[in-house]
Amino acid sequence: MLIELLDISREYVVGGETVHALDGVSVGIEKGEYVAIVGQSGSGKSTLMNVLGCLDTPTRGAYRLNGKDVAKMNDDELADIRNREIGFIFQNFQLLPRETALSNVELPLVYRGLPSKERRARAVEALTRVGLDKRMAHKPTELSGGQRQRVAIARALASQPSLLLADEPTGNLDSATGEEIVKLFAELHAQGHTIVLVTHEPKLAARCPRAVRLSDGKVVGDGPGQQIAFGPGQAAS
Amino acid sequence: MSLRIDFVEGSRIALTSLRAHRLRTLLTTLGIGIGVATLLAILGITQGLDSSFEKQLASLGSSSLYVSKYPWVMLGNWWEFRNRKPLTLDVLETVRQQCTLCVTAVPTLDDQVDLSYHDKQLIAVDVTGTTGDWLTVSGFEIVSGRFLSDVDSDARRMVAVIGADVAQTLFPLSEPVGSTLLVGNKPFTVIGTLAPKGKILDQSQDLMVVIPFNTFKGYFKGRRSIDIGIAVESAEKLDEAEDQLVGILRRARQTPPDKPEDFAINRPEQLASTYQQLTGALYGVALGIGFITLLVGGIGIMNIMLVSVRERTREIGVRRALGARRRTIVVQFMLEATAVSALGGALGTLVGLGGAKLVSLVTPLAATVKPGTVVFGVVFAAVVGLLFGIWPAARAAQLDPVEALRQE
Repeated sequence: MLIELLDISREYVVGGETVHALDGVSVGIEKGEYVAIVGQSGSGKSTLMNVLGCLDTPTRGAYRLNGKDVAKMNDDELADIRNREIGFIFQNFQLLPRETALSNVELPLVYRGLPSKERRARAVEALTRVGLDKRMAHKPTELSGGQRQRVAIARALASQPSLLLADEPTGNLDSATGEEIVKLFAELHAQGHTIVLVTHEPKLAARCPRAVRLSDGKVVGDGPGQQIAFGPGQAAS
Repeated sequence: MSLRIDFVEGSRIALTSLRAHRLRTLLTTLGIGIGVATLLAILGITQGLDSSFEKQLASLGSSSLYVSKYPWVMLGNWWEFRNRKPLTLDVLETVRQQCTLCVTAVPTLDDQVDLSYHDKQLIAVDVTGTTGDWLTVSGFEIVSGRFLSDVDSDARRMVAVIGADVAQTLFPLSEPVGSTLLVGNKPFTVIGTLAPKGKILDQSQDLMVVIPFNTFKGYFKGRRSIDIGIAVESAEKLDEAEDQLVGILRRARQTPPDKPEDFAINRPEQLASTYQQLTGALYGVALGIGFITLLVGGIGIMNIMLVSVRERTREIGVRRALGARRRTIVVQFMLEATAVSALGGALGTLVGLGGAKLVSLVTPLAATVKPGTVVFGVVFAAVVGLLFGIWPAARAAQLDPVEALRQE
């Protein structure tokens, strides 16, 4: 099992009141799975994504990632785990605007401490895989939205993580470009990558082999994407 | 990840960021630069003053003492000094007989008088009345003619030895020796000229005329207290000689044991120590101003770094998400602050050196800057940047990655 979430809770104190963003979530994800985490805004899916990505630690519960107990790690250890195990793909790409596509893709490898030659080689390879080998010297502002998201995917791939963690990856793209990105995810899944895709779009979740539905911080459905994506009473067309 | 990578990557990011905000970088460096420039310029000028003053003091003669009613540096009530018993030739005689460490002792009297030769005139020139051994005490040398002899004094001859500046002004083309000039309204024959000694604190030592002691007494009436110029064997014996002289003078003048000395033994180093007190205060003020300017510059850096951290919150979030540790972020921002300051320090050094050079060109003040001062300027600026970068860098590192990524 690549990911084991056991009875995970995450509470925030906002203005003296305790908010239960996650309330006893237990999910297991095998290596090579392609899972959508779906739910409406406020359902807790962003918090779950942050916990999965080791950007946030749960208040209670156990989280094992690739055999390591993440819940009790300190800040430096979490940074190293993010660097090695997680490839983030964000809705708004989160590229560094002053760096070229190539430098952006190299960044996680810099933090891993790889020598520059190896960094360069891996970044070029990753950009080639997403079809951007001709755009490596461009800065994000010189690229289209779809191309930017491809750079972000290349950055996630370059560090050869155990998990690709995508947060609304098509949210800032038009439908045609979004479709390309979704296809790219399917390809990556076919190549053996483990992908967790966080989205509020049932259509997108429906195309994943498996979906986990969250509501009010609890898991309310877990199964094949087409069954789970549209929620109770909303059959897939 | 190793600290080395933090530094390599941090430097790269710092340089990129500084280049991306050229105007901001320039303005920030100005603050630090002005501080360093001020510091260096003032230090340069004071250092220059010091070294030229040391040379000037050496010209006074390093193994001489001057006994007088008045101390050179007068602190306290002038009337107390004024009411002291005058020093007399009898006292001089006692000193000559009893002071074993004294090589020679001469009486001197001083006044100011106008000089003229044909149509040329000099106003209020120092005139000294003394005897033959005065050269030994004062350290002056004769360049042409001869110096006064005791016979000149005994016979009250109307002869004069003139300083180099007097010779140059009154006799620009002709040979002064043998000519007759007017000292006040009396004609004196020039018998010799002195070698130039230069200036002390911009006051020429060569604008003077020396006449025989008894001639002086006959010329300038009134009961005056003489000064006694004494040459000691060597500079090392000065303290010993001074102790001996205090005893001799107290006995000769019958100063009661419970009273302080009613005479002054003056030494050139006294001027030096007074001077050092003065420049010490100047140094202090200069350093104070420099530090304050650097403090202001440092606050400017802190301000700009806080702005930079705020602007790049999302970037920090991205870096943290991709595996940057807190330390990496701290190093990145500290390096940026240090780089700006060091740049300002380098700029300030150039300007400061230029300023000091300019001062030495347009004013008589000589400015010298020791190499160590330059290094100090740059390093100090960098340290200021480092210190004032700590807080912004720490704030950047403490950002929650989740919050930071959400920032627009």
